[in-house]
Amino acid sequence: MKKIIAIIRNEKVEETKAALMKIGVNGVTFLHVTGRGPQKGMIPSRLPAGGCPPYIGRHPLRTQNDIPVSAYLTSRPAENEKIPGFLPKRMLIIVANDSDVRPIINALIAANRTGCHGDGKIFVCPMISAIRVRNGEQGDSALV
Amino acid sequence: MKMIWAIIRPEYSQKVIDALEKTGISAMTRLHVTGHGAEMGITAGLVNYSEIPKEMLMIVLPDVDVAHAVKIISTTAKTWQKENPGHGAVGDGKIFVTYVEDAYTIRTAENCKDRFGSSGKETGNTV
Repeated sequence: MKKIIAIIRNEKVEETKAALMKIGVNGVTFLHVTGRGPQKGMIPSRLPAGGCPPYIGRHPLRTQNDIPVSAYLTSRPAENEKIPGFLPKRMLIIVANDSDVRPIINALIAANRTGCHGDGKIFVCPMISAIRVRNGEQGDSALV
Repeated sequence: MKMIWAIIRPEYSQKVIDALEKTGISAMTRLHVTGHGAEMGITAGLVNYSEIPKEMLMIVLPDVDVAHAVKIISTTAKTWQKENPGHGAVGDGKIFVTYVEDAYTIRTAENCKDRFGSSGKETGNTV
């Protein structure tokens, strides 16, 4: 049994749900989190030259859909400007059997990959047991 | 590769984040949580407050950096009492460390397990 912790973009949640449902994974926990990667939030100067590949969906820092991410990338932070730091993200927790881990990871990557920084990470941790609260069922059968 | 779950006081979280950043650990996730420890929260008169707001930090690190990060968190998140210096107060939090078997970067669809390995490249941590 494994626990998959994925950190994804807020706007990719619906796509992720659909992708997981397609491969038959229905038990998912979503958490609202804030976070950042090794590039400390989003620093335009550290992004690859030429900006990001075309970004579909909503930028995490913008509320309107129609503002392209390139508009943000060209504005370098001022001398003493604080970097955005912690960006709103969604954390996904899925507990699955060992054999299901690979397809789940593939589905998560396929649904969430935009090629931009901030797409997120997936971590796989060992899990010892699961217990169904309703009837006290234990082990693998508690997952289905 | 290990995962650190640190539950700390919300008012100390920025201090802890800054202290970690100074040593090169900048990648982390922050969660707002509520909870209580063995003391069952705070009782004021007849009212018991058992859901105390805390902040949880999730950090994934190479094995070699874990002890260092735990030390930084535990020293910076500690409340310093005037009458009892060096000792924290009830409610300062807990740090949990778990194993991580695998890690993937969604942007590149790559297995980034090696980056969290002994090199510490992902965090830029030289300690």
